[in-house]
Amino acid sequence: MNYELQHLIEMINQISDNNLHHGEAEHAAEMVATHLIKFWARSMKDQIISYAENDGSELNQVSKLAVERLKAWRQAKAS
Amino acid sequence: MLNYFDPSQHRIDPDRDYGTPARLSEKAVALTIDGVEISVPEGTSVMRAAALAGITVPKLCASDNLEAFGSCRLCAVEIEGRRGYPASCTTPVAEGMEVTTQNGKLAKLRRNIMELYISDHPLDCLTCPANGDCELQDMAGAVGLRDVRYGFEGQNHLDAETDASNPYFSFDPSKCIVCSRCVRACEEVQGTFALTIDGRGFDSKVAASQDEDFMDSECVSCGACVQACPTSTLMEKSVIEAGVPEHSVVTTCAYCGVGCSFKAEMKGDQLVRMVPYKGGDANHGHSCVKGRFAFGYATHKDRITEPMIRDAIDQPWRTVSWEEAIAFSAKRLKDIQAQYGRESIGGITSSRCTNEETYLVQKLVRAGFGNNNTDTCARVCHSPTGYGLKTTLGESAGTQTFDSVMEADTILVIGANPTDAHPVFASQMRRRLRQGATLIVADPRRIDLLKTPHGSTSMHLPLRPGTNVALVNSLAHVVVTEGLEDTAFIEKRCEPDAYKAWREFISEERNSPETLEAETGVPADLVRKAARAYATAGNGAIYYGLGVTEHSQGSTMVMGIANLALATGNLGREGVGVNPLRGQNNVQGSCDMGSFPHELPGYQHVGDPAVRERFENLWHVKIDDEPGLRIPNMFDAAIAGHFKALYVQGEDIAQSDPNTQHVEQALTSLDCLIVQDIFLNETAKYAHVLLPGSTFLEKNGTFTNAERRINRVRKVMAPVAGKEDWEVTQDLANALGYPMNYSHPSEIMDEIAQLTPTFTGVSYERLDELGSIQWPCNEEHPDGTPTMHELDFPIGKGHFAITEYVATPERSTRRYPLLLTTGRILSQYNVGAQTRRTENSRWHEEDVLEIHPSDAELRGISDGDWLGVSSRVGQTVLRCRISDRMQPGVVYTTFHHPGSGANVITTDSSDWATNCPEYKVTAVQVEKVSQPSEWQKHFQSFDEQQHKYLEKSKDEPNFALK
Repeated sequence: MNYELQHLIEMINQISDNNLHHGEAEHAAEMVATHLIKFWARSMKDQIISYAENDGSELNQVSKLAVERLKAWRQAKAS
Repeated sequence: MLNYFDPSQHRIDPDRDYGTPARLSEKAVALTIDGVEISVPEGTSVMRAAALAGITVPKLCASDNLEAFGSCRLCAVEIEGRRGYPASCTTPVAEGMEVTTQNGKLAKLRRNIMELYISDHPLDCLTCPANGDCELQDMAGAVGLRDVRYGFEGQNHLDAETDASNPYFSFDPSKCIVCSRCVRACEEVQGTFALTIDGRGFDSKVAASQDEDFMDSECVSCGACVQACPTSTLMEKSVIEAGVPEHSVVTTCAYCGVGCSFKAEMKGDQLVRMVPYKGGDANHGHSCVKGRFAFGYATHKDRITEPMIRDAIDQPWRTVSWEEAIAFSAKRLKDIQAQYGRESIGGITSSRCTNEETYLVQKLVRAGFGNNNTDTCARVCHSPTGYGLKTTLGESAGTQTFDSVMEADTILVIGANPTDAHPVFASQMRRRLRQGATLIVADPRRIDLLKTPHGSTSMHLPLRPGTNVALVNSLAHVVVTEGLEDTAFIEKRCEPDAYKAWREFISEERNSPETLEAETGVPADLVRKAARAYATAGNGAIYYGLGVTEHSQGSTMVMGIANLALATGNLGREGVGVNPLRGQNNVQGSCDMGSFPHELPGYQHVGDPAVRERFENLWHVKIDDEPGLRIPNMFDAAIAGHFKALYVQGEDIAQSDPNTQHVEQALTSLDCLIVQDIFLNETAKYAHVLLPGSTFLEKNGTFTNAERRINRVRKVMAPVAGKEDWEVTQDLANALGYPMNYSHPSEIMDEIAQLTPTFTGVSYERLDELGSIQWPCNEEHPDGTPTMHELDFPIGKGHFAITEYVATPERSTRRYPLLLTTGRILSQYNVGAQTRRTENSRWHEEDVLEIHPSDAELRGISDGDWLGVSSRVGQTVLRCRISDRMQPGVVYTTFHHPGSGANVITTDSSDWATNCPEYKVTAVQVEKVSQPSEWQKHFQSFDEQQHKYLEKSKDEPNFALK
């Protein structure tokens, strides 16, 4: 895995950790997805979506849920 | 004729000395001076009232930035019905008073006084450096002194020796009249109390500290005494050398975020001295050692004066014409985009350049490059402020004016060191502390503000680095659970649901100071005491710096601070607020101008189609609807191979960004690095194109300071390489096929005003008229907005954010048992590119590692030893200074010198929301060593090689220009 992707995984997991309150993963995932949409560059979004599709093992629970939402947003935008 | 004095009418002429400070009483007192009727605020001195009426009373010991002293007696007047000749400076006005300032008796009295002064003063006026700029000389003329009957034979001070130890000014006591203006300026204006009048009667003399040389004393070289001196006793060496300046231009300092106004005093195009401008609303005529004296870098021999290019960084530079350098850059950028795609290039705007220049760089990126890969050095300092304040208060900016601190009852300073990093504001803060305000400092280090002479109550919360959020949560916990909230404010001004959720969260026992004491290291009772002092003071004001933002939870901490202010109702009026102290001169401005990859100017998101449409209509180009890469993401992408070119204006990322070796790897991965700077900085050593930058003295524009104040920057000399920075960006845009045709920065500002809702009322005409403007300035606030959020928030209601404490992964371990934190010192500025090229280096020749005595003892370390400092990413070597300003377990250094390699050890750990690096926490080990680190050895040889390449370019004949 290249450094860039490794860093993106660390970043998204950190964002998830900082938005998790009282274990409410769904709510946190919503906030994380909004954050990614608002602040991450297209290439960063694409890389994390592709990683979640092909492996995703290093994503924590909230991050996984957030990437699903991000993917749905990406698809909706494309259509 | 009755003249009413109304301060709101801006009748005060900043170039005139009114003798004593203004009084702000609303009660007016009417009196007659030399037959002229005038009405002034109660408490005003007769001297000031006279000056306001246009009448000049002779004076020597009085100055309107100092309280009246009444020692020279030259300002004696006659007052109808009163005995004797009272000093007009110490006599307050009274209703119906009739004052005479000139008559035969007064003239004789004044002549006698002057005669005594001159009997112990050298008569070398013609060769004196103050000739033509001396108040003593002026007064001798004004009182008509023609004779000194006492002779010069008796005991005198004419042989007193000059102290020339300070690099910027000399102290010649033979010229001193002991008016004590310097002593009072040091106390009242600067607040350092370094000067005193030593001795009594004839032996009285001005002394620094314990009668030491100025350089060895506590003097911080702010220049207030030099400015206050009415003779040439304290005199700038530059004036001694060059003579008295012949014209001056008011401009804005390019150092810290205070944004002081200065008069650049000139002889032709030579800058002789910078004198703080009394009309400047940020500094009111005060200055620090950087802005006042450290301007010599502008004419330093190291300035890059011609454009240069090269194909690879292991080649010498070739000096070329501007046209060739621009064409070379444009071709490379276009070729790279053709090969690697639209998103493969980007640009970095500078927080040291003007608003107009910053705006233009981000416009070049968005419109010319066709992507949003723009970022700025604020990424590594205050990006969490933008995120945190926008989320909670709805606007990415501080809420107050600097003057607001004079109404504060409790001042809470978190992770900031104002006496070193924002010295002029620190002086104002200290003035308020002397008046009795309570000070709370939350900082791992015992900062100098805690040692304010004659300060009132102060508390130090020495938290462990990395535990800010735990501390702010425990402060808020006390506020909520002890019933100290401002419920009326919360009810009226805050979102109820978010408040309810936050209140439940913060009330949980896990947020109590008792529980979190184990994390923060701050005793719970001290936290409780501090919370009460802040919440119940009346006016509680928070000031914070990079000790808040440069953490893995920087954004959370900013939100925690906003929560605290919302909960206690400390927002929306004078004396309160949330105030980020900005590091560089135009950090606020660079953020305002759309430097961040996700936001267009005015913090308008690129994802908003309505926003994009307005920009697209004016820019005639399609704007990408997704954010671009931030600086750290650019580095990662460069190493990964899909980010290939970068245009950097005025930022030294190779020195200032964390994990230097990673940055160096990223920079060497680029196919084209274009650096626009005034020197061959560390980043430029990795560049393919070097475009000469211009200093703030060489261009027109505006800077926006930490209080949102837009100040004019005015050109006083021609740019050394012929172009202001905005002109270079414009040339590059045109070469890339995106037309830009500005003929003056004022036209750029007009465009900014069209596109930025908070700037619609800003123009150069309005700035000239008002002096400065604090944004928002629009239809609603035509004269600007000194205090934000008075009635509502830009997001309607204030938003309490849940601020869970998540400990940083960067923790001390057995291998790296100490925590390194970084900071700044007074005499140096940021990467030091400017200040290292001035005499300021006399105060700080090298970066050192401060270590607590117990940690030093444990490792057998002595003061002055060479220490190897290692973290998980690198090692560097610094000299040891043993100091108890830190707690055991914490070490501290600065990064003003590139060879110190402080950022070789800082890691890529960063704020979760913004990627602002965690400079303030790095786990390290420290040990005694005998030689420089591997990185330092590499740095030295690389540095030498790059300087040779530069030298070579100077030797080569310039074919391009022939």
